[in-house]
This record gives sequence, structure tokens and C-alpha cells, in this order.
Amino acid sequence: MIEQLPIVNLLLLLLTALVIPLFKKKNFKFTLSLNFTVLLIVWVISVYLLYYVNTEGAFYYRFGNYHPMIGLELLIDPFSTLITFFIMTMVLLIFVYSTSDATDGIHQKEYDRYYILMFILLFSMYGIIYTNDLFNKYVFMEILSITTCSIISIKRKKQNYSAAFRYVMLNEIGSLSYLFGVALLYMVTGFTNIEMVGQSLETVWQTHPTNIVLAIGFMIVGIGLKAAIFPFHIWLPDAHASAPSSSSAILSAVVVKVYLMVFVKILFRVYGIDILSALNIPTMIMIIGAVGVIMGSFFAIAQNDVKRMLGYSSVAQIGYIVIGIGLASYLGLSVAIFHVFSHGMMKTVLFLSVGAVIYQRNTRLINAFEGVGYLMPITMGAFFIAALGMIGIPLTSGFISKFNLGLASFEGGSSPYIFILIASGILNAIYYLPIIIAAFLRDNPEKQTVLSKDKVPALMLAPIVIISIFIVGIGVFPNGLMTLIEYAVSTFEV
Amino acid sequence: MDDIIVRSITRIVIPFVMLYGIYIVLHGHISPGGGFSGGALVGSSLILYTLVFGVDKARKKFSHRVSEIAESGGILLYLMVGILGIFLSGSFLSNQSAGFPMGELGSLLSGGIIPILMIGIGVKVASTMISLFHILIEEEK
Amino acid sequence: MDLLKDILEHINFIGAVALFVIGLYTVVTHSNLIKRILGINIMGTAIFFFFIAVGNVLEGAPPLIDPEGSSEVVFINPLPSVLILTGIVVVVSITVYSLSLVVRIYETYGTIDQKEIAAIQKGEDYSD
Repeated sequence: MIEQLPIVNLLLLLLTALVIPLFKKKNFKFTLSLNFTVLLIVWVISVYLLYYVNTEGAFYYRFGNYHPMIGLELLIDPFSTLITFFIMTMVLLIFVYSTSDATDGIHQKEYDRYYILMFILLFSMYGIIYTNDLFNKYVFMEILSITTCSIISIKRKKQNYSAAFRYVMLNEIGSLSYLFGVALLYMVTGFTNIEMVGQSLETVWQTHPTNIVLAIGFMIVGIGLKAAIFPFHIWLPDAHASAPSSSSAILSAVVVKVYLMVFVKILFRVYGIDILSALNIPTMIMIIGAVGVIMGSFFAIAQNDVKRMLGYSSVAQIGYIVIGIGLASYLGLSVAIFHVFSHGMMKTVLFLSVGAVIYQRNTRLINAFEGVGYLMPITMGAFFIAALGMIGIPLTSGFISKFNLGLASFEGGSSPYIFILIASGILNAIYYLPIIIAAFLRDNPEKQTVLSKDKVPALMLAPIVIISIFIVGIGVFPNGLMTLIEYAVSTFEV
Repeated sequence: MDDIIVRSITRIVIPFVMLYGIYIVLHGHISPGGGFSGGALVGSSLILYTLVFGVDKARKKFSHRVSEIAESGGILLYLMVGILGIFLSGSFLSNQSAGFPMGELGSLLSGGIIPILMIGIGVKVASTMISLFHILIEEEK
Repeated sequence: MDLLKDILEHINFIGAVALFVIGLYTVVTHSNLIKRILGINIMGTAIFFFFIAVGNVLEGAPPLIDPEGSSEVVFINPLPSVLILTGIVVVVSITVYSLSLVVRIYETYGTIDQKEIAAIQKGEDYSD
């Protein structure tokens, strides 16, 4: 029975997406409570799988009981259960937020489309993380890219369509480059299963080096386009500009991280550390990450629109994760996964609180934040905590990840990166602090100087508050999460 | 279209195209093809009907309700057969290890669950193609 | 002459890579949106061509078993054909989605040329 739980997860998410259109005639609240129940059940199953795999060991799920050489298999190990637990927690809280805000601006009879797309998106993310087959990953990646694009452009506004078109074009070039890499690897090994390709690449590397170098190049470019790594990040700020806030939070905090985890899996399970070191790839990845950190922060300082600024800030933080991956050591990879968690939480709080301010004030420019601290103290308090985490102040989870990243780069012998971390902390402060200063120290148009309660629904405030408590909690007690991450990283051989 | 030659020829040709598409769907386990290509053929015969006779007549024959049932029914058939595999053998979509009758090599009733899956996929692909074509055409109005 | 012999032996792979580069060039340089969608299709077709060329075995028969025939026939690899069938469906669905986006862009902007759309977009404000 335990072995069927991964497929139960996938089937529940897909069947809910099929069943939602049947309930169009009923009250919309019935659909929302059904969705919440299914998300809660899948969350409980993911937590139970995380506990089971860490105590009993990893297992495979083979479709049709065929040998992995000719069939598909799912791999349930500490790494995949940890990432799916992260995805489900974030999406559960974003779903609670979105029940009051996401359907704003959509017609009455199209409300359920947003949630159908969200469930298919979750199904494809679970599929990407669980599967152990390279071609199957491609199919799920395409499903994820169409549903993310639809969820961003669901409001019928002018700027949405050309931003969505650019998103689809760039993601498609990325997916097809990845597929070309898979074709090149299939040419020399004859398998598409990740473990079998990894084993046979160790012997094939001597006889066919050209294929493998080309395949690494195509795959890094392909996944770099989808994960918004520095030179390929062009689509990210435009995609955030007029999306609903919950969609921006899903895109920037969860979807991009899934592609980064695919990047980790491919680099360390398919190719392995020997081939990578022979080609000097870890150094190149670290340089790309460092350039991304600095340039992302520079672009963010020049923005006038809050959501675009948060988009460029995402590019900079993804640079941190890429530096951690490029260090290719035990501590480096652990820091990268810890920053996935930490940045996911902080970016979610930032986007959701900005969404609450836009809900109350109806504009997106930075000068809308003037004096809003008195009208919405809870929201701006959470924004303040998340911004401190992004800068890297102690007592938040952002400080733990920056400190450990500096420690890992010092141990790995690349000490110059510590200066990049310090410089980027200062750059982050340059573009986050003006918003907070404007919120609390300037006068607002209503000339109010006493703290009053936020005029946004409680369902929008509750996720923001819960995640801010987590940010501070993990900043003060990081050990529980770090143990889980160390179990996950021990499945890779670095 | 108002041309009488086009309409007469289409009326004769469409049943044959549909029959060929259904033949490819049902023989998915014996010859190349299967659900996707057969479904695309059936779908293109319906698109031919729409192009020649106009969107309104095609909408009456293939309305929104029918396409909803066809699409959901296709996926649900696929998933139900897969879940049946879980109960019989312990793994999703099991075929031989679940004890489905395999039959003789090369005959029509062989291959376990494969013909059923092909029918589900064929219905879904055909209905998707025709409903997407209708949505793209109707935008001009 | 050795180089020419190598090229002629591997002409399938060279053709697939050339198609891929042509598709990529189309997507990057042309400003008409429909041509970009066609470029993505050409890239997808090039990769499927590459898969088929990988699965080819010289002097092999199609992978269909004849119950009365002899059992000593060399077949070509049937696995790439199955992978390509799934890949074609994925590329078709992406094409349909992009085409519906182009229909919407035409309705709102009145043009499908990327340069003209960018010029129209410069004079817009940030209303939500």
C-alpha cells in the first residue's frame, strides 16, 4: 500500500483538475473547499512519504512492472520527497491567498479555469520531480510551461499577451535544446533512464567525448533558459508585470526552483562529478552565477514598477543558488537547497504583500507605497521581515544561507566569491530599503499617522503572517531543515 | 463554401477518411500508428466538414457538450484502466503481469489493454482537434 | 576524400543539425510572430529527424513481426518511433497555444509584427 502513494498523489491532482468543470452550476465556494481538501490530502501524503523514505529507505515505482531499460520508473528518495514537500507547502498557502484575489478581473463563468490550470501545474511539477526518465521529464516540462504561461496571462490585459508570447518562445527554445541533449545522450548510450545513462556514461566518456560535451552544452543552455539563470533571464520581469499576485508568487518561488532541481539532478546523476571536473564546468557555473547576482541587483535598482523589481531580484537570488550548485561540494549543494526553501518563502511573502497593497491601493508604482505602513501595518511588517531576509540580516533564514554560502566558498578554495556576497547584500539594501522607508516615514494621502487594521480580507493576511513566522523560525532554528537537506544531498555523489 | 462540386465530393469522401482513421486507431498494436495519428485523422475529417459546410452546421453536429464528454471520457477511460492495473498487479498500467489476455501474435484481439487505451486516446485527440479549430475560427466574429 | 566519405555516411545527422540551426535562426531574427511559431516547429521536426537517424540500422527491416516469416531478420530500433510520437503531440499542442495567443495579440494591437508592437507598447502606462 505504501508503494502506491506516489501514484495516488499524481492521480488525485489530475482527477481533481478533470472533475472541477462538472461543478460549474454549484456555488463557487464548493469548488474552493473541494480544492483545499485535495491539496491538504496531497500535503499529508507528501509529509508521510518524506518521513517514510528517511526512515526506511528509497524505493522505485515501475509502471507496468517492466524493467527500467524499456519502461518508465519513478524514484522516491529523500531528495524528491523533500522538494515535493516544499512545493506543496508553498502552493497550499498561496492557494489560501488566491481565493480572495486571483479571480479579480476574470468573468464569473471562467473562475474555475484558474484552478484547473493550477492543479495541472501541480501534477506536472510532481511528475518532473518524481520521474527517473529523461524523455518523461521533457513531456512534463512542456506541460508545466504551457500551464504556467496560461496562469500568468489569464487576465485579459494588453501587456499580458506579448509578454506571454515571449515567455512561450523562449521556453520552447529551452525545451527543444534540452531534448536535443537527450537525443545526443541516447545516441551514445542507448538508454533514457537516468541511472542507466549515468552508469554507461562512465565508460563511454573515453570513446565519444564530443557527443557528451555537446550534450552538456545544450542541456545547460536549455535549462538555463527555463530557470532564469543570468544571460537567459529576459522573460522573467515581463512575465511578472501584470500577472495576478498569486501567479507571480507561484512562478517565481516554486516553478523556477523545480527547473533548478532538474539542473542539479542532471549535473550530478547523469554526468557525475568526474566528467564535470574534467571539463571545468563547476567553475563556469560559478562565474555565471556570480555575474547574475551582480547584474540582477543592478537592474533591480533601476526599476519603477514594484513587480518588475521583484522579478529582477529573483534573478539575483537564483544566482546565489547557481553559485551553490557550482561549488559541487557537500556543503555547497546543501546551501543551494536551503536557499531554495528560504528564497521561496521570502519571495512568496514579498509578492503576496505587494499584492495586498495593490488590492487596497490599485496601482503598481513604487510611490503608491508612501505612508502605507500606517494603513496596513501587518502587511508592511511582513514585507519588512522578508526584505531583511533578502538583505541577509541575522535572525532570518536569508542570513543562514548567505553565511553558509560564504563558508562553503571559503572551504572550496574560491574565496573571492565572499566579496560578491557582501557587495550584493549592500545592493539588495539599496533597492529594498527605500520602499520600507517610504512606507513608514512618508505621509500618506489620507494624512493618517495612527496604526489601523488592514482593510484586506483575513484569508489574504493569514498566509503572509504564517510564512513570515517560518522565515524567522528557520532563521533561529535551522537545524531541523538542515538535517533533512543533508539526507537529501547524501543521495548525490559529490 | 458554395461550390457544388466541393460539397458533393466532401460528402462522399468524409466517411472513408473517418473509417481509415478508426482502422488505424484499432490496429495500434499491430501496425504503426496508434491513438495519436488515428485521432488526428478523424479530427481532420471533421475539420474538413467545418471548412466546407460552415461553422454553424458543424457546431450543431459536434456541440460543446459532446466535446466536453469526449475529452473527459477519454482521459477517464485511460485512468480507470490504469487503476485497474494497480488493483490486479500492484503497478499502474500493468499489462501482462496483471493477467490481461494476450491473445495470438498478429490478431486483432491481442495485446491486453492496448486497444482500449488506443480508443481512449483516439477519441480525445479527435475531439481536441475539432474543438480547438472551432475556437480559433469563431474568434473572427 | 576521407572527409567527403565521412560526410556522406553521416548525412542524416548533418541534415538534422542544419534544420535545427535554420529553425533557431528563424525564431531569433524574424519579427513576424507567425514565422517564429513556424521556426519552433522546424526545430522540433529537426530533433525528431535526429532521433530517427539515431535509431537506424543499416540494411534493417521495419520493426513489424511477421508470424510466418523467418526469425533471423535484423530490425531497426523501434524505441525512437514511440518517443517521437509523443514529441509530435507536444509540439502540436504548443503550436496551437501560441496560435491562439497570436489571435489575441492581433485583436488588441492590430498587427503581428514584433517591432510595431514594441513601438505601441512604449507609450503605455502602468495601470493594473
